Amino acid sequence: MTAAIRTTGLTKVYGQKPALDSVDLVVEEGSIFGFLGPNGAGKTTTLHILTGLTRPTSGSAQILGRDVAAAGNPVRAQIGFLPDVPGFYEWMTAEEFLRFAGRLFGIARPVLDERVGMLLDLAGLAEVDTKIGGYSRGMKQRLGVAQALINAPRLLLLDEPTSALDPMGRKDVLDMLMSLRGRTTVFFSTHILADVERVCDTVAILNHGRVVAQAPIDELKARYGQQKVVLEVTGGADELAEQIGRQSWAAAVSRGSNGAIDVTVTDVAAAQQQIPALIAARHLGLSRMEAGEMGLEEVFVELVGGIQP
Amino acid sequence: MSGFTAFAGKEAREILRTWRIWVLPGILLLFALTSPVLARFTPEILRAAGGDQLKGLVVPTPTYHDAYAGWIKNLSPAALFALIIAYGGLVCSERKSGTAVLVLTKPLSRTAFIMAKAVVHSAFLAVLVIAGTLITWGLTAAIFGPAPGAALWSASLAWLLLGVLLIAVMTLLSVLFGSAAGAAGAGLGVYVLLLVASYLKPLGTYSPAALAAKVPSSLVAGKDVAVLWPVLTSLLLAAVLFALAAFAFRRQDL
Repeated sequence: MTAAIRTTGLTKVYGQKPALDSVDLVVEEGSIFGFLGPNGAGKTTTLHILTGLTRPTSGSAQILGRDVAAAGNPVRAQIGFLPDVPGFYEWMTAEEFLRFAGRLFGIARPVLDERVGMLLDLAGLAEVDTKIGGYSRGMKQRLGVAQALINAPRLLLLDEPTSALDPMGRKDVLDMLMSLRGRTTVFFSTHILADVERVCDTVAILNHGRVVAQAPIDELKARYGQQKVVLEVTGGADELAEQIGRQSWAAAVSRGSNGAIDVTVTDVAAAQQQIPALIAARHLGLSRMEAGEMGLEEVFVELVGGIQP
Repeated sequence: MSGFTAFAGKEAREILRTWRIWVLPGILLLFALTSPVLARFTPEILRAAGGDQLKGLVVPTPTYHDAYAGWIKNLSPAALFALIIAYGGLVCSERKSGTAVLVLTKPLSRTAFIMAKAVVHSAFLAVLVIAGTLITWGLTAAIFGPAPGAALWSASLAWLLLGVLLIAVMTLLSVLFGSAAGAAGAGLGVYVLLLVASYLKPLGTYSPAALAAKVPSSLVAGKDVAVLWPVLTSLLLAAVLFALAAFAFRRQDL
């Protein structure tokens, strides 16, 4: 199967400052791919190179098997793109903009009529006949998603698609992305980890212009994530936590909600064997003990060196 | 081609639905309406303004020549200044607002983006100049009686060519400069350079600089003036500037 996106040694330098440093990415067709990274990591630069808006300093980028720099309109005809802050002609209405976008793709009138109606419904703008200049940021973002879908793209590239949306709008967009699974390849950048965990099957984490990890989410968690043990005792939790923290298999100990002790462990079997023994030695009662999985957020924090997005 | 046509259609609708429909058309309409009227009443205005001080001054009886000359004189430089300022943001405003990013990630090449703007705005200026010339001609005929139009039309068309050349200049400057104000400032500088060049030989005879100064005024006065070389070099320069704008725009990171 042809990769929807393939970058090889993609590098971009602005002046003396490297924005991307030899980025290698492979995005399989049909996948929903989360492109994670803290602010300034190079996510938008990558998307701009993939859409032909920016030229790489070195390296190459292929979209649907064709070189982005050389292919031009044939590649653009197959992608949909939503920039981080979409700019619209404010004198147009949403319907006018969608029709204009459709005409740029050369979509025939009957097909365009049908798609415009469907996408206006999707964006919740079917009843809105005011000009785009009067729209809120969320309305513009929803229109941005709609215009990116006007050509029924094979590859949808989205830069922070949910950042300006309220919880309902965010849910609608994520549901829409999930509905495209298997039909359209979706590549979206974000720093909202919950969105990625909810819809993506594969992620890449970018930090300081470098890809520090790329894998299916579950594999990434297994590869980079240590496991957690959460326990609750009937008393003496502080002293117990301190004692657990001294064990060789305990990477970190913290106090969770309701007095629970969260233990990040490097050896789950050893922890499961020794924790009950430690509790029994202190004559404490064990109310709860369960294994927990590290979330993507913890993997992310570990990989980007604690820089919060 | 569909991208070019769709974008050109957008440019045309943008003219009709934004401030662009008021500024240049308003200025040219004002000049077209006032030039013949002012020419007709200049003696009365001078007498009223000067009072006894201009008692001995003999003001020639105005003719249709004065109406035509007024129209051409108003176009340069007032309408040119308005044109330069209005087109400072032709490309950079689309970059700044993010609309360029949205349309250029669709099947619209950067060359088509520039050429659509070149074609639509040159055509828009042509419509304005033709309409303004028609109004001036008609109003002049109504005030002064039947007036031959050859001098008026040839001078207006020469000015139109200068206007198209300045649209090409502003397109390139708007690509090169990040702000509309910066591009407009540089555009005014280019116009001043054209005026200076018009006093230098052979630039003032053979180059577009001739259109910036003596060609329109000579044509409207019915004087014999060489127009072929200034017209050819202006057309060529405008084409080169539009091509340069497209080339520079293709090389820019958005």
